[in-house]
Amino acid sequence: MAGDKPKPDFSNVKSGSSSTAPPPAKPEPKTYTVVAGDSLSKIAKKLYGDANKWKRIFEANRDLIKNPDLIKPGQTLKIPDA
Amino acid sequence: MQHSKRFGRTLALGLGLVLALVSGCQRSEAPPPATAPAEIPVPVPFAVKGVSLGSSIGADKRVASPISVFAKSDTIYASVATEGTSPSVTLAARWTYQGDQLVSESSQTIAPTGPAVTEFHIAKPDGWPAGSYRVEISANGAVAGSQEFSVAE
Repeated sequence: MAGDKPKPDFSNVKSGSSSTAPPPAKPEPKTYTVVAGDSLSKIAKKLYGDANKWKRIFEANRDLIKNPDLIKPGQTLKIPDA
Repeated sequence: MQHSKRFGRTLALGLGLVLALVSGCQRSEAPPPATAPAEIPVPVPFAVKGVSLGSSIGADKRVASPISVFAKSDTIYASVATEGTSPSVTLAARWTYQGDQLVSESSQTIAPTGPAVTEFHIAKPDGWPAGSYRVEISANGAVAGSQEFSVAE
């Protein structure tokens, strides 16, 4: 309607916060220790119920696994969430 | 005569021995002092205790001088005091103008282990429009406190 005051613009408001309390602790990542006979697809089948998710494990452990077909017993792999 | 003297001495010795034995038994039968059981601390549930507003906060995140009328150029602080423990709680501040227009919203997730203070602040580079405002504080989505304030002309 004519004569109505336009609403103020708050798009440039800057906000922030801080606390004396600590933030929640980050959950420890899950791990799996390779045993003899394991392969990434077997591990994915065991942990995710889906062997095709082996790539997820491979990507999360690029620093440890150069060749996805070559994993060794005793290696501790990081297991990302499904 | 000698026999009766000896008998008397023996009797006295015997009686003394018996008395000593009895008092010793009584001492050894005394019960040990009672010790109070150790108190197990009960965790205090998390709760928002209060919200105060001001134009500045201290290093402890608290508003030293609470006010409810601000200048156009002020940074506005809401200091939220909480108590209790929680592994994770999200505090949020929702600022509104003239009852319904949203000014800003922000949140902070904390894991308090006792009394704590969380501050939220807003600032507007070109100055606040005069009028009435409100800040509503929620904890995990449930409204826990609010304060009304105004900005002077």
